[in-house]
Amino acid sequence: MQGTRIAVLALAVAALAGCGDDEMTIDRIGHPDAPKTLRLQINASYSPQAPTPSIAEGFRELFLKWSRAHPEWRIDLNIIGSNEGTTEQARLLEKARIGEAPDCANVDSFTIPLFIEQGVLKPLDEHFTQAQLEDLFPHVRDVMTGPDGHVYAWWWSTDLRVIYRRTDLVPEAPRTWDELIEAAKQAQERDPKVEGYLFNAGRWEATTFDNLAYFWMQGGQLLGAEGEPVFAKGRNRKAMLNVFRLLKRTVDERVTPSRVTTFNTYDEFLTAAQGGTAAMFLGGSFQWPQLKEKLGKAFEQWDVSEIPGPRAGQTATGTGGWSVAAFSDDPEKVAACMDIVRTIYAGAGNELTGELPTSQRAFETLEAFQEPIFERFRRYLEHARPRPGLSIYPSLSNELQVAIGGVLTGSATPEEALDTAGKRVEQTYELLSGA
Amino acid sequence: MAVAASRVATRRPARTRPRLPEQVAWLTPLLVIATLFFLWPVVNVIRLAFTDTTLLRDGYSYTLQTFSQTLTDPSLPQVLGVTAIFVGASVAGQLLFGLAIALILQRAVARRLHGAVLVRSVVLSAWVMPGILIGVIWQIVLNEGPFGLVNSALAAVGLGPVAFLSDTDLAVASAVTANIWRGTAFTMLLLYAALQTVNDELLDAAKVDGAGRMRTLWHVTLPQIRPVLLVNAILITIATLNTFDMILALTGGGPAQATEVLALRTYNSVFVNFNLASGCVFAVFLLGASLLLTVIYRRILREDDE
Repeated sequence: MQGTRIAVLALAVAALAGCGDDEMTIDRIGHPDAPKTLRLQINASYSPQAPTPSIAEGFRELFLKWSRAHPEWRIDLNIIGSNEGTTEQARLLEKARIGEAPDCANVDSFTIPLFIEQGVLKPLDEHFTQAQLEDLFPHVRDVMTGPDGHVYAWWWSTDLRVIYRRTDLVPEAPRTWDELIEAAKQAQERDPKVEGYLFNAGRWEATTFDNLAYFWMQGGQLLGAEGEPVFAKGRNRKAMLNVFRLLKRTVDERVTPSRVTTFNTYDEFLTAAQGGTAAMFLGGSFQWPQLKEKLGKAFEQWDVSEIPGPRAGQTATGTGGWSVAAFSDDPEKVAACMDIVRTIYAGAGNELTGELPTSQRAFETLEAFQEPIFERFRRYLEHARPRPGLSIYPSLSNELQVAIGGVLTGSATPEEALDTAGKRVEQTYELLSGA
Repeated sequence: MAVAASRVATRRPARTRPRLPEQVAWLTPLLVIATLFFLWPVVNVIRLAFTDTTLLRDGYSYTLQTFSQTLTDPSLPQVLGVTAIFVGASVAGQLLFGLAIALILQRAVARRLHGAVLVRSVVLSAWVMPGILIGVIWQIVLNEGPFGLVNSALAAVGLGPVAFLSDTDLAVASAVTANIWRGTAFTMLLLYAALQTVNDELLDAAKVDGAGRMRTLWHVTLPQIRPVLLVNAILITIATLNTFDMILALTGGGPAQATEVLALRTYNSVFVNFNLASGCVFAVFLLGASLLLTVIYRRILREDDE
């Protein structure tokens, strides 16, 4: 984590020092006097300013190659920090509603339906063939397509949550919640320096999303048929309370440190793995290549497995990822935006970042995904669920983050935390739906 | 005498009250700018606080429900309490440390010691940094993992780790510490300038009368710079009330809601819940708190003048 942050600081200093060349600066790609301009908003991790040096260099080369092939275009960049993702989507939506959005931007996959509902995205059907569409995973195609049948975004990278474990400390993958805690305890006995099980519990989106797997695997539903919040009612209430109790149990039984309530980036897991202080963690599939790059020889000790359930065989995981969508009314800019998707992100970007492709063919043909681990990820995707792409979700997620933090710090019982979250989400839903 | 009389004579026409058209001409640009960029947004925020507007809908209706929901929110006392502690402790800390550094610098300059400019520059560097960066820096410093700077140092002497960010009480103290570190330079700058205006003859007289350093500071120096102290207090109180970027990067408002101050709640209402009306209610609270504190400070200042 420190390495990442130091890299970000170094980039900021480099930016202040103005160390860019003529073709590429901190906020521009292409010649400054190029006749056409494309305003592009991308996440830092998908840009020449990515925290991982090899990824930054890879995107730098890809963008320069695109720029040289299209000298008539100048790309004005707006880079978004990696931990601002969720709130930045709200800002992007607001900018789009008043006509101030960039021409082309990263849109979080789970917010695509919200952007479509607000009518701010441009149809992209003419830029992709039917074969390309049919090659996508079905849930990906469904999310990208609006109720009118038009494609409104190109979802190019996907992921899922898995349990990472050090096989020298945890030889067998835990299949149940009890086994997870027992394995973490045994790992701590084998090596007192390690923390048994780490997961996200700070105030950010991953705290909700990662741990929702434990809710979904019990058959829990966040929203009802009309999009109304039901996560704190009936059977769902019981399932959510089970999740809160499980998380609390990990802290009470000292296999998880209370500092997980401060985690607001996945880099915490990488740093702990690098420092040899983590036995298991609930991380993203996208961390596999990062772990490989950072751990060197020690990487051989690591393996992944599906998230355990209350009973063996019960499992689920969350799937997300990023798309690119066009907001411009200018067809030329929409075409340039989609050309960037095809040449920089879909395929090349997957190989560079290690984030899973959404195209089934790419899984089979891209060299970076020929390792056996990716076949397992592809299999795990069968149990994956995306978050509901409705306007109530960010509020619901925020309240669950508060609830999980409250339960883990002991400032609320699981029941109190869930009741408060349920009531506040209900209020927000009434306002947003005009009920 | 004759020269003085002629000066008075030449000044007199300038003191006559300008005619109304002149007054209007002078004041119009100021009024237009103040209305467009200050008054209109404030009126709009107050108006929207009495609606059910969201970021996702164009239409809205006027209602008191948003206000009542916000006022009856069970987490509101927690948010207001944390805000009061954060602002009170930050302002007190910034004033104390800012004054201490300003006094040390003044003595260093008076004694022509080397390094005074360097110290001033180093302290100022914290002030010019963006809040987000300060949050990230302090998260590295206070991280509870084996790599956190303070906890690593404590571990080296067999202590810790201390839950600086995951303990609900210590997390507030950590946010206050980071904010004091960030804002002390501004206070130092203002008070250092104010200290230059303290009459040397008064200080010499206090010395002759046998007053020690602390008594001289309390009875001579501080009363002399009191107006600047109060203006400084107003400015840093308002700045601290509006602080959310640093906390967002440091704790995100957590653990749970332990460090969620009013400004951060406003931000979350609008950009997480899409609830513009509720965000406006919180903004009205912020405005009210700033105005109230400004009035109190001004009253103290006026009493001082009288």
